[in-house]
Amino acid sequence: MFDSSSMNISASGLNANQLWMNVISNNIANANTTRTPQGGPYRREIVNFAPSSQPTSFQTVLGQTIGSQDGGVQVSSISQDTSPLKLVYDPTNPDAVNGYVQMPNVDISTEMVDMVTASRAYEANATAFDAGKQMEMTALSLGR
Amino acid sequence: MNTMQLLQLSLDTASMRQQVYANNIANAETPNYKRQDVAFETYFQQALENAPQAKPGEYHIPIPALNGNSSTIPDVQPTIVTDETSKVDNNGNNVDLTSEMTNLAENQVRYNVLVQDVTDRLQRLRTAIQGS
Repeated sequence: MFDSSSMNISASGLNANQLWMNVISNNIANANTTRTPQGGPYRREIVNFAPSSQPTSFQTVLGQTIGSQDGGVQVSSISQDTSPLKLVYDPTNPDAVNGYVQMPNVDISTEMVDMVTASRAYEANATAFDAGKQMEMTALSLGR
Repeated sequence: MNTMQLLQLSLDTASMRQQVYANNIANAETPNYKRQDVAFETYFQQALENAPQAKPGEYHIPIPALNGNSSTIPDVQPTIVTDETSKVDNNGNNVDLTSEMTNLAENQVRYNVLVQDVTDRLQRLRTAIQGS
């Protein structure tokens, strides 16, 4: 059995995909950023999803003890893409070394594909949320 | 178990299924997540087939008031099963969003039907009590 209601589960999916969408927007916005506060060009960020669990919360421990489990999804971490940076020949750029500039490893087409995926996943969760809500509303009409 | 309890159990099953499908959809992009489903109707059908059959002239579903025994409706509980067999994506996830959305819609209709059935039964009871 699940501890949380289906609406909570769908809400966690909405949150996770919203965050993913923010990270994608950030990647696209920084597709040409060659100078970051940490130094060097911007590196693409990746969100990592994991099934939801809060190992420290009392509710989880109690839930596991009485044989239920939490449902839902969470963003477990946001990591940097370590794939190689693009080298572009542009001697006029102030960040150029020997005429070559290191550009972010953001690939716009990958980001666009991810964006559509995140958007569709968000819609699916919204539909699931609505279905769960409708079912609870129907339950309220029991016996009428 | 009587019919009303069976309907109640079916409603619980549909509710549980809604949570399981919502969880599958929420985890559609989670690496190595395996989709889950709720097993109930198949188990129930099997239990019904294995139950002792009524002889000609006997009630197939006993009426409790007549013999005080309604145990031929088998006591089956819904169980969450993990689907390890279906086709797996590159990231080890086997959730197919299309089929999950279909399951979700079908489950919602099933839930509405069950609620309607319970409501109709209560309505008949009310008619019998009020006599009109």
